[in-house]
Amino acid sequence: MSKKTLSIIVLLIIALIISLIIIDFIGKSSDKRGENPYDLDVDQYKLVDSSLIRYRETKNFPLGDRLPGAIDVYNGLIYLGVEDALLIITPEGLQKKSIPLTGKPESIRVTASNIIIAYKNEINVFDSSGKLLSSWKVDNERTIITSVAVKDSLLFVADAGNRRVLRYTLDGKLLGEFTGKRESTAGHGFIVPSANFDLVVNKFGELWVVNPGEHSIENYSDEGELRGFWTKNSMEIDGFSGCCNPAELAVMDDGSFITSEKALVRIKVYDPSGRLLSVVAPPEKFLDQGHAPEVAADSTGVIYALDFDRKMIRVFEKTDDPQKN
Amino acid sequence: MEKDKSIKRREFIHTGLRLALGFSLAGVAVAAGRKSTAEKWVWQIDPAKCTQCGRCATECVKSPSAVKCIHAYDLCGYCDLCGGYFKPGVKQLETGAENQLCPTAAIQRKYIEEPYFEYVINEDLCIGCAKCVKGCSSFGNGSLHLQIRHDRCDNCNECSIARSCPSDAIKRVPASQPYLIKGEFIKPLKG
Ligand code: SF4
Ligand code: SF4
Ligand code: SF4
Repeated sequence: MSKKTLSIIVLLIIALIISLIIIDFIGKSSDKRGENPYDLDVDQYKLVDSSLIRYRETKNFPLGDRLPGAIDVYNGLIYLGVEDALLIITPEGLQKKSIPLTGKPESIRVTASNIIIAYKNEINVFDSSGKLLSSWKVDNERTIITSVAVKDSLLFVADAGNRRVLRYTLDGKLLGEFTGKRESTAGHGFIVPSANFDLVVNKFGELWVVNPGEHSIENYSDEGELRGFWTKNSMEIDGFSGCCNPAELAVMDDGSFITSEKALVRIKVYDPSGRLLSVVAPPEKFLDQGHAPEVAADSTGVIYALDFDRKMIRVFEKTDDPQKN
Repeated sequence: MEKDKSIKRREFIHTGLRLALGFSLAGVAVAAGRKSTAEKWVWQIDPAKCTQCGRCATECVKSPSAVKCIHAYDLCGYCDLCGGYFKPGVKQLETGAENQLCPTAAIQRKYIEEPYFEYVINEDLCIGCAKCVKGCSSFGNGSLHLQIRHDRCDNCNECSIARSCPSDAIKRVPASQPYLIKGEFIKPLKG
């Protein structure tokens, strides 16, 4: 080997060593400073046994610049509330109609003859064509309406700020309210630490209210008398964790519940007695520490999730093939 | 409106603590303002950007770090099963050190009344490691968050945490408004 070749090889080796030192230094001084000695491993709670996931995301509709407010599904159509309108959308994602609104709704409920829109402290009742029939304010400075549900001519309103359920006629006459207080052995009334307080009326006319601080789903008579409840207090997949879960609730035609959780975001289906039937979407489908998507289902069991973080409607359909994670 | 006495009591507690936090931070704000009349800017953490990487505990020139955990009581659920206080998966909700998430036992848990517990940070013990912040954000309402406390911070020309923060969460803010405290419950959370 000539002297010149040897010098080149030595120089190359020196250059390689210097670059390795520089790469190592840059790596350490930017993002790769090694392990966080204080890390809290929450990843184990994000892992879901794939055999439990019996739904697949089949499509999604990004909302672009529109700000998502609330969603409902009725008679095969999606009713989406955005910052200043109610958009009526086909299952293929085509906008059929737009009804102007005075703001971004917190909750929407559609029935055969009415569309009910709830804002923070106001209720608007429209007919199916979008004509405003009645409108009233819930006159309390702490009121934060988070959900509404209809049973025949009764309207139930969840007021998170005051941890109560109000009962109205559809033209705004207040009939009563309750705070979920029950016999001492049954536990505590509504505990609502944040603006997550949902209620539904199922096909059988039963009113179910989430008690988010207790991780329970509670069945009340129209007058607010407790009839039954189930509780799932756990960080595992079959339970609810954190301060206010399930943050969103919907109901299927057979009475099964669709639950949606915030923080460790996940969507699941439970039977009416509280047995976990399926995971619809595991945490890996959502942003870490995200908002709970609002959920709704059509009569065929297709689940629609309004993802506030990703600003899109996501559609989940049942599959016989459990998903592979 | 409120029919439940225990909830009334809790609201009272909420308000009391909120004011207490407000006053202590206001005092510190004045101190920060005085300390930095020339520069008029101080360093602060944007809690919305913080990803709880742990560097606030290890990179500050002060020992222990000038970063402390702050509790936004408005957002807190006062839960028995607190994701910021207990290690995930604990079987018994007891205050033994083996059940606590905080490596320095800086969070004090006080029973208020069934089913509410109040969580208070002892800043002398807190090292700003963000472990509780991650627990609270992952399982709870995210009421625990980090802030640079200006009675402890040297307001270095170049904050060494800002230099190494992987999330670009530390920025200069006006000394007259030196804190970026998380919002209140009254704001709807979604959207
Ligand atoms: S260095 Fe940045 S991301 Fe890490 S804990 Fe501090 S503020 Fe949060
Ligand atoms: S876990 Fe870390 S940030 Fe939280 S109180 Fe303890 S020392 Fe402070
Ligand atoms: S400015 Fe200096 S003292 Fe203050 S937090 Fe940053 S490194 Fe610590």
